[in-house]
Parts: sequence; structure tokens; C-alpha cells
Amino acid sequence: MALRELGSIFGLASRSGTRPVVRCANLPIRRYASTDATQDLEPASSFSAPPPSEDIVKSYDPVAQSRRRGRRLPPSRYQFRPPKYYRGPLHPHQPPPPSDPSSRVFQPGPFSLPRLEQTYQSTIQPDLMTLAYTHFPPGYTAPPKGARLRSWEGASPYFKNRPLRGPRGSDVLRLLRQPTTFRNVPKLTGVTVHSMVKEANEDPAVLDVAKMVVQAITNARTKVHKARMSVIQWGHREGRVVSVTADLTGEDMYHFLGKTIDVVLPRIKDWKGVKGSSGDSSGNLTFGLSAENVASFPEIEVNYDMYPPKMIPGCHVTVHTSATNDRDARLLLSSIGIPFYGKLVD
Amino acid sequence: MNAGQKSARQLASRSSWRPQDPICLSCRISRRRHASSAAAAAVEQPAPLQTIPPATSTSSPPQAYALKAGVVLCRPPQITRDLQPFEKAFFLYQRRLNERLALPFTRYFYFKKDTPADIEWKRKAKTRLTAARDIGVYHAYGKEGWNDEVLVGAKESEPEWQVEALLKDMEVPAAGEASAGAQAGAMVEKREEVERPMSRVTEADRRGDVKSLDRLLQRSLYLVVKNGEGRWTFPCDRLIGREGLHLAAERILVQAGGVNMNTWVVGNAPIGYFHADFPKGIMNEEKNVEEVGEKVFFMKARIMAGQANLEQNKFGLQDFKWLAKEELEKTVTARYWSAIRNMLADR
Repeated sequence: MALRELGSIFGLASRSGTRPVVRCANLPIRRYASTDATQDLEPASSFSAPPPSEDIVKSYDPVAQSRRRGRRLPPSRYQFRPPKYYRGPLHPHQPPPPSDPSSRVFQPGPFSLPRLEQTYQSTIQPDLMTLAYTHFPPGYTAPPKGARLRSWEGASPYFKNRPLRGPRGSDVLRLLRQPTTFRNVPKLTGVTVHSMVKEANEDPAVLDVAKMVVQAITNARTKVHKARMSVIQWGHREGRVVSVTADLTGEDMYHFLGKTIDVVLPRIKDWKGVKGSSGDSSGNLTFGLSAENVASFPEIEVNYDMYPPKMIPGCHVTVHTSATNDRDARLLLSSIGIPFYGKLVD
Repeated sequence: MNAGQKSARQLASRSSWRPQDPICLSCRISRRRHASSAAAAAVEQPAPLQTIPPATSTSSPPQAYALKAGVVLCRPPQITRDLQPFEKAFFLYQRRLNERLALPFTRYFYFKKDTPADIEWKRKAKTRLTAARDIGVYHAYGKEGWNDEVLVGAKESEPEWQVEALLKDMEVPAAGEASAGAQAGAMVEKREEVERPMSRVTEADRRGDVKSLDRLLQRSLYLVVKNGEGRWTFPCDRLIGREGLHLAAERILVQAGGVNMNTWVVGNAPIGYFHADFPKGIMNEEKNVEEVGEKVFFMKARIMAGQANLEQNKFGLQDFKWLAKEELEKTVTARYWSAIRNMLADR
């Protein structure tokens, strides 16, 4: 109320004073930090520059030009060869950045703007932000938290300078959950598709089929893994190849999740969803797809006959999120369309 | 994800509740915390809280703001957005670069030799020179593979053109004529029609129907109503009794737009607020306070299905519209717009 009165006093003073003040009752005039900066910006932009004239556009035909030339230009005119080895930052011949098509490590892409990514940005992210918002009144200071690692208490002289003890009850330090702000709303960071083929122990050629299947459904190169130790019950022998994985990020990840959620999962009969106890308690959830489900991916369906019969494997799909606990990760995944069933374990 | 809110509520419920208290919940909590910390260190005095005058005088009733809840009912975007010209050109260029760098298409893995599908594939690949179906006529491995950029005004980078190319590729020759056509070596004229995707511009867009939820599929739409004074606002109403913002939002949606809407009120916290001062204080007999203005706290809600119907509304609303952000700016008052602009999604 005092502030209100202060405002009215100021208003009276300005009205009665000698200096006329521009009234701006309806127009909200604000000063932003960027207001001054915009005056320094150059008004001219390449977007406002006029396009080349009609006749220049019509007459420009690089293919005809090169055909007319008849001979090949010397490679030095059009070919840039990046250095084969990086010779340090002071060397005059520096490699171009990886996004440059002339770079030796250039990977083309992205090729599209995935639908799931757009949905996340336009709908899911603001909703998660609203759901998780925690209001701290002005003047709020978070209460100090105790140290998570314990010191060694006792008379033993060996406790001096000893590394701190782990938390009570468990050996590991769990990830901390920070208050959600617009900077750290949980998002998808990656997907790992993993397929272990038991029969590959006897015949490594079986793994090639799994490799082709995983590559077909993920659009990413696979890695092959060897058994670390022998397990008699599973028929594992140390050093034999047993499984393939594909790590997806970015565009591939969104396309893979999109077609899994929209095409494959709805086709599974009597599927209850992903088990609620799934997760590694740091925001990464895993679910499995059986061999029939993998066969219903559109990429496999289109030439199902070309795969050897009964050799299409099932797989595990791990969804990595930037959430630091399973509860937030599950909220994110259920908002993009993956249902959960059973007891939810956080 | 709402542990902080919950604990705040628990704190508030533990404190003595006074319905007449003009101080809001979180301020009350912070005041308690400050009071407790002040006991430990008397140096820290809560400066901003001194601005709230104690309700002591008996002659004039205490001043307060009328507390209201508003609902920002939103229909999220239904389809992907149109790409910018730069994005279109960039994506096509990257696809062509990929065609240059990738290993050639392994036909033998996808088509058995001399099957109709194989013959069809060879015929198509001969015309477009490449395995990709939507990058136009481009031979990545040929002598002129360097010519991977399209010229000004080329149609290949337009998504409509690419969809057409994919659909044309999906069309299979009608049964019986495939063998004849292949033998003749000519293009097969008669083809089975493939179902086209629905238009991205709807009938409501063409009619300019602002009451339809089928308009502007790429944008978020917001429900605005014309109140009794003829002003366009989000639906809002006073908080009744002890109800919270979430409950009030659900009630307002039903009382304003009818029961034929499947809605979800997102979260328990408001996403923005609007405050206006009355020119003269209004006496509220019920609460025995003099209202010097109003404060509207906006809750976010999503509509899943249904449509608003104002026939049974209890707030004297005259009309409603579903508007995108930039249309809202022209509809509401400038003061209202400055309060709501930052809580609306750009798309």
C-alpha cells in the first residue's frame, strides 16, 4: 500500500511540477538491457539485399558452362585438401571445422526437423516446466545441506587424511536433483539399442543378421561386443562376440523414438506398457522389444523376406534423459507417449 | 516433481490460517522464516515486508486486492511447422552431400533378382539417377556429381515437391499392365492412386473461422472470451472461499466454457499474473475489506477434445475466440497484453 501511495505522490508531484511529463497510461514503455544495443546494430542485412536480377538467374548454368569448357580445371582451382594430421594450433595449415564438407571428418546432416523434437519444444517442455515449477519467495535462501560424505570417526591413527566415507546405507553417491528452471527441464539425450544374440556363441554369422536389423531400424552404425567372461548357463564363452549396440543422438534418436512410439508399440497385442520398476535411478529407462516387435518396424517389414528366417533378434532400448532421477524421466517419457504399468519405483 | 510446493503447503497449513489475511501464502511463509531467523540473528530484519501495513485501524476497513484466478486454455500445435527457406535449402544440400559420401545402395539386399520389384526399382533408378527418392534428378557418383547445389527458384527443396516425389514413387503399376509395360519399355500410364496426406491448411483457415479449433494447426491457440464490459480477456473469476488456484481454474473452465471440454490444468503454480488498480476503492461487504484493485493469477490448461459453449456460462460472457499469439495482441488491450505476452508460447 505504501508503494501505491508513493506512486500517487510521484504522480501528483509530476502533475503539479513545472516539467511536463509525457503521460503513458495505456502504452507500456519499458527499458530493456538490449534497447541500447539495438541502436549499435547495423541496419543493413544480407536478407534485405535485393536478389540477383532475372537475366543473371536465367543465364546461370554451371553444368553447361563446364561442358562448354571441354577440359578439366586443375584440381588446385576447386579442391581443398585438409591436412592429414593435426600439427598443433600454431601450424599454418589448419584443418577446417568438422561441419565443413571439405573436412576429413565431415558427416552430413541433419536432414530434417523431427516431429517429436518439435512437439517437445512447443508442448512438452513448457508443460514440464510448469509442472515442476517451485516458487521461492523473494528473500528466500535455501537451507544449508549437510555434507554427503562422512568423515571417519574414531581413535585410529589411520583415519587421518583417509578419503571420506560414503553415505550411510549405500556405497554410491546418487545424483542430486536440482530445482527445475528453464535451463534444466528434462530432455532426451540419447537412445541405445542393444541386441544380444545367444546363438552367436556357436555361429558368429548370426550376429551379422542382428547387426543388419539394428542398423536398419536405427539408421546408425552398430558396435559389436564380446563376452567379458564365460557363463556356462548362457553358453557364453569369454572373448566370443555376443551382442551389438547402436548409440543414437539428435535426429536419429528422435526418428527412432517417433516410429517406435507411433508405429511399433501400438501394434503389440496385449502390451501393458513399460514396467514401472525400470530405470537405473539416474534418469535412464530401458524397455524390451521381442523379435516379433522388431519385425514390425517399417524398415524390416518392407523386405522381411530378405532376412534369414527366425534370425531377427529382439532388442533392449535404453532411453537416456537429462533427468537425474527415474521419476522425472518417467514423466518425460509418458509425456512423449510411452505408458508405464505396475509399481512405479523411483 | 513438486516437492517444494508440497512442503510450502504443509508449512502453510501448520501456520494459523486466517481467511481475512491479505498477505499471500508464500509471503506468510517467508515472514515466518524471517521471524525465526531473526531470533537467531537480530541484525537481519525483513525490510520488504514492512511495506504491508498491519490491519489495526478499526474506523476504516483494511485495504486489499481482489484475488482472481484466470485460465489460459491452450490448444497445442497439431502439425509440424513450415520450414524456413534456409532450412529447406540446407536439408536438401545435406541430403545430396550424404548421397555423395554414402556407399552405393545395395540393391541385392532389398530386391531379389529379376522379381517385379527389382525391375521396377531399376526403371525408377534410371530416371532419377540416385537411390534417394526425394532429392531430384542427381547423380552423385557421376562426372557432374559436384553440381549438388540447386539453382535459384528450383522446386526440389520444397517439402510439397518432395512429398509428391515420394508419393509418385509409391505408386505401383496396376496389375496386369506391369509386365506389358516393362516389355514395351515405356512408361506405364495407368497407376493405382496413393492416398494423399491431408492439407496443412484447413477449411476453418479458409473461412477465417476464429471459433473453430481446426484453425492454424501449426500454432498454439488460446481461448479468449468477451466479458460483460465488452473486453476480451482470458476467462477468470474470483477465488471462492478456501479454494486454490488449481481448483478455481477447473471450476472456471466448466462455468465459462461448459462441460463439453476435455481439459487438463497443468500444475499448481500460476504462469503469470495481471494486476489493475481501481480508480476508487470498492467496499467488499462479505470480507469487510476495501478492494483497491484486482490481481489475476493465470493457470495454464490444455484442451484435449471438445469445444467451448458459452450458453450456460455464469460470468455474463458474450463471445469467445480461439486465437494465436499475434492475433491476441490485436484483440486485448495494450496493458493486458504487456502482462500476458511472456507466458504465451511463440509457436
